[in-house]
Amino acid sequence: MTTGIDQKRVAMVIGSGGVKCAAALGLWKTLQQAEIGVSMAVGSSGGSLYAAVIALGYDIQVAQSMTIDFWTSDLMEGYTSNLRAALSGEERFTEFSGLINDQQVYERLANVFGQHTFADTHCPLYIVSTDLYSGESVVHSAGPIIDAVRASIAIPMIFPPWQAGGRWLVDGAVSDPLPIDVAIKEGGETIVAMGFELPIRSRMHSYAAVTGHFNSIYMNNILKATFAFHNLAHHAEVIAILPEFERDIWSFDSNMIPYVIEEGTRAAEKELPYIRRLLTIG
Amino acid sequence: MLAIKPYRPLEGKRLALVIGSGAVKCAAALGLWKVLSQAGIEIDLLVGCSGGSLFAATMALGMDVDECIEKTQRLWNRKVTEKRDMTSLLRAALPRVFNFNERFGMIDDQAMVQNLRSVFGEQTFEDTRTPLYVVATDFHSGEQLVLSKGRLVDALRASISIPFIWPPWPVDDRLLIDGSASNPMPVDVAIKDGVEIILAMGFESSYPRSVSSISRFAFHVNSIMTNNLLKANFAFHNLAHHAEIIAIIPEFEQPVGLFDTSKFPYVIEQGERAMQEQLPYLNRLLAAESSQVK
Amino acid sequence: METSVKQQDQTTVVSITGSVDALTAGELTNLLLENIDSQHVRLVVDLGGVDFMSSAGLRAIMTSLKESRKHGGDLRLAAPQPGVEKILKMSGFTSILKSYSTLDQAVASFGS
Repeated sequence: MTTGIDQKRVAMVIGSGGVKCAAALGLWKTLQQAEIGVSMAVGSSGGSLYAAVIALGYDIQVAQSMTIDFWTSDLMEGYTSNLRAALSGEERFTEFSGLINDQQVYERLANVFGQHTFADTHCPLYIVSTDLYSGESVVHSAGPIIDAVRASIAIPMIFPPWQAGGRWLVDGAVSDPLPIDVAIKEGGETIVAMGFELPIRSRMHSYAAVTGHFNSIYMNNILKATFAFHNLAHHAEVIAILPEFERDIWSFDSNMIPYVIEEGTRAAEKELPYIRRLLTIG
Repeated sequence: MLAIKPYRPLEGKRLALVIGSGAVKCAAALGLWKVLSQAGIEIDLLVGCSGGSLFAATMALGMDVDECIEKTQRLWNRKVTEKRDMTSLLRAALPRVFNFNERFGMIDDQAMVQNLRSVFGEQTFEDTRTPLYVVATDFHSGEQLVLSKGRLVDALRASISIPFIWPPWPVDDRLLIDGSASNPMPVDVAIKDGVEIILAMGFESSYPRSVSSISRFAFHVNSIMTNNLLKANFAFHNLAHHAEIIAIIPEFEQPVGLFDTSKFPYVIEQGERAMQEQLPYLNRLLAAESSQVK
Repeated sequence: METSVKQQDQTTVVSITGSVDALTAGELTNLLLENIDSQHVRLVVDLGGVDFMSSAGLRAIMTSLKESRKHGGDLRLAAPQPGVEKILKMSGFTSILKSYSTLDQAVASFGS
């Protein structure tokens, strides 16, 4: 057709979804096997971890074991007792507070990313977080990767917000859970987007559960509306890959990771014939 | 070959007013309405979400501006807005935590329901002079729901069920919450009704100056998400349809709290001002021949 | 609404004054599309003189944006006034296209 179309390359966008985001490794595996390159990687929230890993060109096996070491349930240590203390007013809770100790999270991120910066990536990397005060989305594309990821995954109230570039930042999912817009803005052509809806609870017996439910509703609706908008706003194809998980997957459940990656592969393989056809046009 | 979109004539040029969520700020719609009435412009359809639905309903019933102001001020009296202390509520709830369920709200809604009844009585959607739609959200699925039948009190009580403030409200066989959890400024409802010119009045939630408790933080996060949901929906519907949407987002230099009814006169004035700015264009639009309009 | 077109470096600059709305969007769309072809794929829309933009106006920009990208180029905005900037933000446009405070910055953003 014309110049500007990335032959045999796609822009990858990985949305929020906690542990489910590991499915992106299945997608990446599938693309690599099909000899389709990645022109850029964009991630929000849990997706930022994988966007960064992919952009840095880590070996898939290494990425898989890093993932398994990262999402262990002890990350949530202290959550219940801290929540009780916060609710009863025993502990003062401010906008800088979190319910879990983020030291462990930071250490694990350091294990994965070390001192790497955005300049070390093989393809452009964009990570989305949210400004705590204005609620607007913030796109990171320079500096230490660990800062951007730590900001992007800062689930409100659970992880403390993160300060970077003079701003206080929280979870990217609160403003842009599946940042296809960033790929569009930065010149992506064929865009492959992997997103996840938050599970909906049916019975709620605690304040935390109700809060979680409201969060899910709002976030899923933001996801749907932004996705609809981004689709209309793009001049080329956006291929949405939505892995289906038969088993319930909650946010921190690293035992499920091999299954999650497998499902990611399965979902990606389903779309592969179409992706191939798109990339051979012109 | 570059494609040029064909014209779509503005059939009959119906005008809709969509009043999005914003609690007390929604009174700006009354200022907007004052300006339109003075200019002799009629509204053919009203759509309300959350606090906006209260004003949309009074307008739809044919009350004049002063009556609307009087009635809506009555809805927010002190009893209604008395906040119960979150922590004491939970201390009471904790021993009986097995009784806690989704019908949870910090403020006793009896006063609000009483006020709604005193203003709207048993009136239904069929009693309105102007067609009215009220938007709420299904608590379980998160889907947007458009209410257009039955008692106004039920629809309004459902639409204003701000998370954590008032409990969800049952309508038919569903549990409903605040419309802004799915669509804070529902222009799509007017578009689906076939209206071609839409005045969309929406409000961004303001953020607290400081957060000193976990429930405040939850509220803050909620506000952020509502604002982002407003933008995302607006962004989509703007592009997806041919209707002309004139967004009227009043500026509030003074802070206006969620239940700050003392600010009514200020808010109404801002609404007037915002509409005055758009009035020349609206007049041109209404006067234009259909073929002139894109 | 008034418009003017000029070439600056490799970029076509379309400057607009007045209101971009349902009554003027058709004219703007035609003008923008006329200025996009295989030789001219870089467009800057100078909004310095625009005091109002409605949804019809936004759609005009979107149509041209997609067309320029299909040709391997891009459309960028320059100098939106505060009211118009607000609408651009609310409608998600600032998340999918690049906008600059001055015309020079917008033109320079295309590089050489």
